[in-house]
Amino acid sequence: MSSGTIDFTKTRTFLIDTTKCTGCRGCQVACKQWNQLKAENTKFFSGEGYQNPPGMSEHTFTRVKFKDYQKLGQNEFAFYKEMCMHCNDPACASVCPVGAFRKTGEGPVVYDAKKCIGCRFCMVACPFGVPKYEWSKAFPLVKKCTGCYSRVKEGLQPACATACPTAIAYGPRDEMVREAEKRIAAKPDRYYKFIYGKEEAGGTSVLYLTHQPLDELGFKKVTLRPLPSYTWQALRLVPGIFLTVGGSLSMISWFQHRKDRIRAEEAEKKAAESTRKEEN
Amino acid sequence: MTAARIVMNEIKGYHRFIKLMMVLVGLGALASLIRFIFGLGATTNLNDTYPWGLWISFDVVTSVPLAAGAFTIGIVAHVFHIKKLEPLVRPAIITGFLGYSLVCIGLLLDLGQPQRGINVLLYWNVHSPMFEVSMCVMAYTTVLFLEFLHPVSERFGWHIPLRLLRTLEVPFAILAAMISTLHQSTLGTFFLIAVDKLHNLWYNPLLPLQFWLSAIFTGLSIVIFEASLVHKYMGQPDESELLATLTKIIPWVMGVYIAVKAYALAFLAHGELFDRQVMTALFAVEVVVGVLLPFAMFLTRKIRTDKQMQLRAASLVIFGLVLNRFNVSMFGMEQANQQIYTPSFLESVVTVGIIAAHILFFVLVAKYFPVFEHHPEATDYTIPDHFHKIEKHGHGKVGSEA
Repeated sequence: MSSGTIDFTKTRTFLIDTTKCTGCRGCQVACKQWNQLKAENTKFFSGEGYQNPPGMSEHTFTRVKFKDYQKLGQNEFAFYKEMCMHCNDPACASVCPVGAFRKTGEGPVVYDAKKCIGCRFCMVACPFGVPKYEWSKAFPLVKKCTGCYSRVKEGLQPACATACPTAIAYGPRDEMVREAEKRIAAKPDRYYKFIYGKEEAGGTSVLYLTHQPLDELGFKKVTLRPLPSYTWQALRLVPGIFLTVGGSLSMISWFQHRKDRIRAEEAEKKAAESTRKEEN
Repeated sequence: MTAARIVMNEIKGYHRFIKLMMVLVGLGALASLIRFIFGLGATTNLNDTYPWGLWISFDVVTSVPLAAGAFTIGIVAHVFHIKKLEPLVRPAIITGFLGYSLVCIGLLLDLGQPQRGINVLLYWNVHSPMFEVSMCVMAYTTVLFLEFLHPVSERFGWHIPLRLLRTLEVPFAILAAMISTLHQSTLGTFFLIAVDKLHNLWYNPLLPLQFWLSAIFTGLSIVIFEASLVHKYMGQPDESELLATLTKIIPWVMGVYIAVKAYALAFLAHGELFDRQVMTALFAVEVVVGVLLPFAMFLTRKIRTDKQMQLRAASLVIFGLVLNRFNVSMFGMEQANQQIYTPSFLESVVTVGIIAAHILFFVLVAKYFPVFEHHPEATDYTIPDHFHKIEKHGHGKVGSEA
């Protein structure tokens, strides 16, 4: 759903500077603690490198992705903290038949488990592949990063941002964008000249700075248009089409039945005339 | 005791084919029970990468257009008032009603929280295509149920409901067309949100229009398919002359569909079209075998009026539609270099059970209710109906000639 009243310059936003990330995964641990998430049974090197667990899941809302690369003949790491992007105009909220997702004025996109019917349209719709499902349960629900709404509401910072020693800044969106631009301008060699999330999917509440080109790190290339607009351009026509179809079919049916009625009346008249002639 | 024995004796008398269908339905029911005990993860091959699988692709996205015969024949026979087509209407409505009821069952199996399905009515989200489709499916299943009451009331001689239903016949046909237009097209809108996910061969903003158009000509083809099979296997009269009226309409709709599809492909696609061989092959088979070939067949007068060829052309249309819906909802959504989703054994058993249930219930309904014995030339269709005319339906006096 489009959130007309939210001022997107003021929504709380993560600025994640991957060039400053040390890969300590303190954010992962803090997230598990605050959200009371179960540990996962994992194997080392189950993914691309040292990353663990292999992906986000119903038990893991955020995860640091490790990317090995070579720089001047040396093996180097790049890190990418995956999490919900908290879009300004979220696809998950627009497709949910019961409106279980909502973009809050504070910034996080929150999920109301009590409304959810479990149709998984949010998972199909999300361009970042964030919502995950409780596949092990008979009556599963959707799980995703809450943006620590319970903390943010009370004026605290999200658990991962609090735990991070180096890379995560958290504040109003306009300030975070300005800060990101300032950093790129100050150290053009250090940064790839792009703020991921500034315009992706119509703008998100998570911004990334990187050293590498984005696709090398595994950032998804997504449309810059807010996703709900893609479906709304068809759905907005629904009431008009409903009435047009109804109206035109009613007219056709009236016309066709009228033709029949007239034909029947004429036949009757003829029959009456012929009987009158016979009588005479 | 005796009642049970009567039912058992009745079942013993059924044809072997019906008994086989019963077994398949039973297996399907058993498999769905397993889903509710052990969960979706244990019974299906779905995962976070492929949250929608066979149950959505077939039981919902494909079954809904396959059940479109009821509304399309309703428009042709009742709205355009081509009375001679009346014998085709009732079987189509039964098929539609069964189809939609089974769509509801399929959807409930696939939902994580089916017991909360009612939430759709409590928390409206008009921005959601899923909201729209669920409202439409509920509304339309109700309309189809009321239309289905027609043969039921005739069977039991309920005069007042029958009279009411007859009066509402045309309004129901129009309402059915209105609701169907919405949800048939909105099933296409589902996939408009999958920007950068659905392959460019199918992703374009006119997808909803294409879904609607293909539902119309497939609906009519289903009527042909069904009437031909019923003639072949259930000893009903040959309706190929009536079907020739439908085969005259189908190529028009198909022509518009082809034009829209070509236009969308040429001017509205979002990027590279023929970058993946598998996708290109799927698309080519869908369009050539499932659309262009039957289109050419229906354009040929000889084929259009021939009993055998009608059935073949209609079968090709149905094949094309099934492949199209799978291409959009399953194959086209698989990304390059990603694991490939294949339905699990239990998933397939459920879907086979649902198809078997459709055939089984159709045969049973046709066995016990006046579905085919309904001949308009023996029935008075003028509205309003006088009270006790219905009793005389089929015997001698026919009232004022319709």
